[in-house]
Order: sequence, then structure tokens, then C-alpha cells
Amino acid sequence: MGGDPPSVAVLEKSHDAGAHMLSGAVLDPSALAELMPDWQSRGAPVAVPVTEDRIYYLTERRRIPFPITPPPLRNHGNYVISLNRLVRWLAEQVEGAGVDLFTGFAGAELLYEGDRVVGVRTGDRGVDRAGSRKSNFEPGVDIRARVTVLADGVRGNLTKALVARFGLDAGRLPQVYAVGIKELWEVPEDRLPAGAVIHTLGYPLPHQQFGGGFLYALPDGGLSVGFVAGLDYRDPRFDPHAAFQRFKRHPLVAGLLAGGEMIRYGAKALPEGGWHAIPRCHVDGALIVGDAAGFLNSMRLKGIHLAMHSGIAAADAALDAVRADDPSAGRLSQYAERVESGPIRRELHPVRNVHQAFAAGLLPGLLYSGLSLVTRGWWIRDPLPAHAGHERMQRMAGGMPPAADAVPVDRRLTFDKATSVHYSGTRHDEDQPSHLLVQDPDVCRTRCLEEYGNPCTRFCPAAVYEMVDAAAEGKRLQINASNCVHCKTCDIMDPYQIIDWVPPEGGGGPRYEGM
Amino acid sequence: MPMPSSERASVLVIAEQRAGALNPATWEAVAAAQAVGGPIAVAVAGSGLAATAAELAAADVGEVLVVEDEALGTYTPDGFIAALAQVIEREGPGLVFFPHTYQTRDFAPALAGRLGRVLIPDCVGAVARDDGIVLQRPMFQGKFVAEVSPAGPPPYCVSFQIGAYRADAVVRGGSAATRAVPVSVDAAAVRQRPEEPFQEAKQAVDLTQAERIVAVGRGIKGQEHLPLAQELARSLGAELAASRPICDSGWLPMDRQIGSSGQTVSPKLYVALGISGAIQHLVGMKGSRTIVAVNKDADAPIFEVADYGIVGDLFEVVPALVAALEE
Repeated sequence: MGGDPPSVAVLEKSHDAGAHMLSGAVLDPSALAELMPDWQSRGAPVAVPVTEDRIYYLTERRRIPFPITPPPLRNHGNYVISLNRLVRWLAEQVEGAGVDLFTGFAGAELLYEGDRVVGVRTGDRGVDRAGSRKSNFEPGVDIRARVTVLADGVRGNLTKALVARFGLDAGRLPQVYAVGIKELWEVPEDRLPAGAVIHTLGYPLPHQQFGGGFLYALPDGGLSVGFVAGLDYRDPRFDPHAAFQRFKRHPLVAGLLAGGEMIRYGAKALPEGGWHAIPRCHVDGALIVGDAAGFLNSMRLKGIHLAMHSGIAAADAALDAVRADDPSAGRLSQYAERVESGPIRRELHPVRNVHQAFAAGLLPGLLYSGLSLVTRGWWIRDPLPAHAGHERMQRMAGGMPPAADAVPVDRRLTFDKATSVHYSGTRHDEDQPSHLLVQDPDVCRTRCLEEYGNPCTRFCPAAVYEMVDAAAEGKRLQINASNCVHCKTCDIMDPYQIIDWVPPEGGGGPRYEGM
Repeated sequence: MPMPSSERASVLVIAEQRAGALNPATWEAVAAAQAVGGPIAVAVAGSGLAATAAELAAADVGEVLVVEDEALGTYTPDGFIAALAQVIEREGPGLVFFPHTYQTRDFAPALAGRLGRVLIPDCVGAVARDDGIVLQRPMFQGKFVAEVSPAGPPPYCVSFQIGAYRADAVVRGGSAATRAVPVSVDAAAVRQRPEEPFQEAKQAVDLTQAERIVAVGRGIKGQEHLPLAQELARSLGAELAASRPICDSGWLPMDRQIGSSGQTVSPKLYVALGISGAIQHLVGMKGSRTIVAVNKDADAPIFEVADYGIVGDLFEVVPALVAALEE
């Protein structure tokens, strides 16, 4: 788009800005300060400084405090925020600055001229579940741009296609992910002082599994409680939603939540692979930023500020390319240089092997994390080898071993998935094609049932996948697509990699108010 | 804009009609206005409205305002916004109440925008307090009800969720005066060209208007068992509806789905057969006046909202109910 300043359009698949934003969240304000030095006087909803950090190792009944808070988890100078509110506020700021924000429009595919990205096509609207046009059909529109910045988030559908088309991950480690599940609670105000930050390791996960819990205290009894589980677990029976329910039943957590009320639920995957898993992020006509690129520091459990740093660098590079009328990869490579020379590399490079070290288990991971603080990440093997998480899932020989005891559901502290989904506020028009494309559903009732016992029915935190009785075939996969909270876990963790998450009709999805 | 003269804010209810037939949700908005108190006027816009106005005048309201113009014969957002903006500016009510129908959703936000006034949509209650009106709106999927005090100058536009007030709670008071309110609508300025109304599916039903509903859930097990529920619906004179899994499997069309991703209903009688009562279903039917549940699982959440619960096998219970009704 032309003119000076050039016109900037933002496509957002959610119903309104921030509705699909989910994070803990503790914000490192460095990038916000760079973007908007006067963020405080402008009234950014970033008002609760972290007052204390606690970290515990949990056993089933007990908690063992860490004697010191490891430096990466010291949050002095950071803020407990609602990412939903911050993004909503940022949307107002950018609209005030003349940016066109189109909410309710998903980027369905990239437009190319030759091998140059020239824009994005939005999804069709008004298509029924059989694929026929309804009376309200509207075809997607082509939005052409001299530079397209992909900020489609963790495992973004456009980024996934772009990376595959150009092999942008060649020579990089496979990205590894985790899934975070969070609830927003209102609890009696005396439970935790606003700004208190608690992290846990251990229970309910076994030692060899990556993950942990968090509790972040907001003012007026608001409490974010969540659990992150690595999507590189071995046991196909693992259910992250059930693990989160177990975490809430631990005396530490149950005590803080007692008498309170759950008001929101959400889930989202996180890119944990770090520096070595970041693909090339510039091509002719396009840049990749934020979680889509994997700019997340898994040791500090932070990515918002890195996403913003990458956005600032990408905006500068895009502006330069548009002004020079040269959106070639060569010109846009200054984005890569900024990533290399700026705060992103400074933060991610020293911890480049940390997540991979945790693949060996909690203890080696912790040891390596500590060591990397001294050596700035040096190790005999660098990079440490890594496997895509879904490849680590173990096949079951001779049928499914019995599942762990189900977590009791009391609908006060613990919830079943259907109830959780309700509190995500997720909504989709029911009469539209499934946006979860399973290439060969026969695999589900044959090979997968036998080899992995249909792990999709467990790893999905929104009960999208169900194996239902079908007389002739035995079992049949039923996809409750309208439950989807857009976390991308299925696209990531399906052991056969035959699930493709594509955007549903724009505006559909969760509503993470206050999350 | 003139301020309301009386102490209590006056309420203007915007009725909804099509070809002279009132949308029953209109009565719910009238009931809301009566619950708030204060002088009430009901405005109805369209053309050829004498009988509709007389029907409205049977309610215990101050007066019925008839807003007729050729350009209002068929609903268009531009036409209705132009006409109703003139009515509201002339009458100067303190509050404007709408039923939260599809049509309201289509034009009320733009109407409020035209007037430069606030719109508080999808409310479930309104209470007059000494310091002004307080509106109740569900938030967080109905977990909380927020009390909202409108700010800025009146009138405040408010729409009410279907079922929030009961149409049959409207106090009938004889005969309100009917008054024609002239408006000028420039037909050339109406940008929409309405075509013949049509229903998307041939058998589309409007469950929101049904007085009795028999709904089936997973407990029905297979499509081949649906006639059992159909028979009960027939003997009760009820519409057949379902929870999501049934419509998802294609056993019943999607317009018969009750719940957060389907219809929200509040019939006089709701019979739930083999429905466990997931919260997504409950939010779509818990406003029903009498709820009867049949389910094998005594711990099913449906029994928490049911007025009458039968713990048992629906394949035994339903034929017995049908037999009893046939007698």
C-alpha cells in the first residue's frame, strides 16, 4: 500500500483485539518502554509491579521452597498483567495512530507473485459444514501489501505454510512446544498480595517430563493460575488438562483457591525451542515475528517483550523496504541483523540449549540451566540435539495400559473439559466446515487407536476430539470443532502429523476477557 | 433534547412487528418497562398498523405511538433508524427499551450512534433506584451479573435478552391512547433494498417461540430411536429439540439445537431426555419455567436445574409417559 506514511493494516482473526491473547502473564516492560516511552502516562494497563518471587518443588502433598530464586526467575522490575487488556489497549493506541485494524478476519493463505509474498487472502465467510455457500456467503478478500508481517502466533497457519514452502527451518533444530492452560480466579483478597509470583516444579509431572505451575496475584483478589506442560512427553496417556486439575488439588494451590470462583479458562501452546529452533524470518515480501518465529525465553518464561522487540525491528525494516520500494529478502535481511545484534539474541543465545537439556529430565535440565548462567550457554555439544515433540511419544505394544485414575470433578475447584471450554467463551458458527483438517481419519480408528490409544482425545484441552461408537467401523473420530480454543496443540502433538489447524470463519474462537 | 418531565424516567418501548404480527419478545420488553415503573409509551413502526396498535393498547401503558410511513412498509435499517431517531428526539424519553431480537441487533447500535447515546445491549434486568436506573448484564458466560449505571445524557437505550422478562407477566390495563407520530423518511436515502423474506432451511423452526419443548441428548443413543422422542413431543404438542451431539451427528437439523452454540429458549415446559446437562446446554434452557429431566445418571448436572427429575432409562420412561398422556 502506498502513501507516506504508508498505510498499515492489521488482520486479527479474533472477534476483538486481544480476545485470543493468552499468557500468564508477567511482563518485562523493556520493549514497551522502547516502543512507547510514555506508556505510564498514557495509562497502559501495566500497573501491578511484581512484589515477590517464590518457587517451590512440589510433591503430591508437600511443597519445598527453593532456597534462592534462580536469577532468570527474578521478576523485580516486571509487572503482573492481563495480556488481553494490554493488547486491547495497544489496539486503541495503534488505531489512534492511523493503523487500520480489521478484527474478525483470519489470514487464510498468503498471496504470491512468483516466490515473493504480496499479501494475504482472508477466509471465506458464510460457508456451511458441507462446504456449500450459505445465503450470507462472502468470499475472502485479497489484501495486497508490499511487506507482509506474519504475527500469526505459535504454530501460525501462514507461517507454517511459508516455512514449509521455502524450507526456512533448514539446518535449524525442530521447534519444540509446550501447552499452557490457565484459569482466572477471583479469590478472597487476603490470599496473596497483588504482585506475588509463584512458580512450581514437580508434581503432578514425573521427573522426566517438562513443565510446571504458576500463580500470579492480581489486585482485588484476582488470581491467574496455570500449568505448562511440555509437548514432548512420552506417555500417550498424558492429559494436560487433567494435570492442571491435579495441580489445583495440590494443598498449596487448593488452599489459595478455596472459597474462590473460576471465571475464565484458556489454553495456548508456547514455542519453547529457543534460539536454535528459530527459522529464517525474512523472505521476499514477508517477515515473521513473535511466537510465530519462536521468540520466547523458556528459562525466564517470557515472550511478550521479545515478540514486541521483534515487532519493532520488523516494522523498521518494513518501513525502510517500502520507502526504498525494495521488499526483497536482501533488503529485509536488516530485520535479521537487528534480531542478531539486539535484545533478542542477547537474551536467547545464552540459554540456547536450556530447553533441549530438559528433554533429558528435570535434574539435568536444572543443572544445565545453572551452568549456562556461568558459561553463557557453552556446552560440549552445541546445539544439543533435539527431536520434534511428537516423535518422542511412545507407541504402546499390546494395547493401552490402564489410564491413571481420573481426577474427580467437583465443578468448584476442578472441571471437566466441556465446562472449561464454556468458560473460555469460545464460539464458532456451528454450520461451517471443520477447521481441523484430518488428512486420513481412518488412521484414527485403526493405527492410532492401537499404537497410541488416540492421544488427541487427551492432549486437546477443549474436548474437540472424540472417538465415538460407530457400529460397523467400531470407532469413529468425531471433531467438535466449535469447542476449539485455537491453542494449536493438536497440530503440534499429533504423532502422525495429519492434523492441520486452519482458521475457522473470522471472529470465531475464544474470548479471553481479562486473561 | 427535552428531559423527561416526571420524576421517574419515562420509558419508550420499541415494538417489533412484521406484516402487522407482533414479535412476542415485544411483550417481554413491555414487561421490563412495567417492572421499572414510570410512564410508558410503546412505539411501533411500519405501515398499516391499526390492528397492531390496538393489540399493544391492551397493555397497561400510557400510550401507543404509531409511526407510519410508506418507506417503513418493509424493515430496513436506514428507514427504521431515520424514523425512530425522529420519534425519540421528539418524545424525549429517559429510557428506550428494545427486545434483543435479530432486528434490534441490526439497527439499535446505529440508532444509538445516530442519537449519540449509549446502548446497553442484552440485559437481563432493570431496576429503578433513587439515583437512577441500574441495568443488569451477564458477564463471563453468565457467571456474574454486572450492574451497569449508564453515564452521559439520557435517553439510555437498553435491549433485553429473550426470556429475561416473561411476556405473560405484562399487566393488561384496558385501553391506552393511540397517537400517530408523523415522521419523514426519505425513501431515496434508504440504501438497503429488501427482498422477499425467506427462511434459510425449509423446515426452520423458531424454538424461541415454542411453548413446549422435548429435547434429546446423547442418551437417545441412535438416530433410529428418535421417533420415541418425536412421539412424546407429539402427545405434548411440543417442538423437538436437541443438545449439540445430536445435531452434530446430523440426527436433527442444527436449527433444533439448544445451548450456547444454538438457541436460547424459555418455554413453559422443557423435557430433557438423556441430556446430562453440560453447562453449554444449561445456559440455553435454564430460563424455562418447568424443567423435567429424564436421565440414567442421578449425578447428572441436569437435575440441578430440573423441577421434576426421573432417574431412569428413557427407553422405559418415555413410552410410559406417552401412554399416560394418551389416556
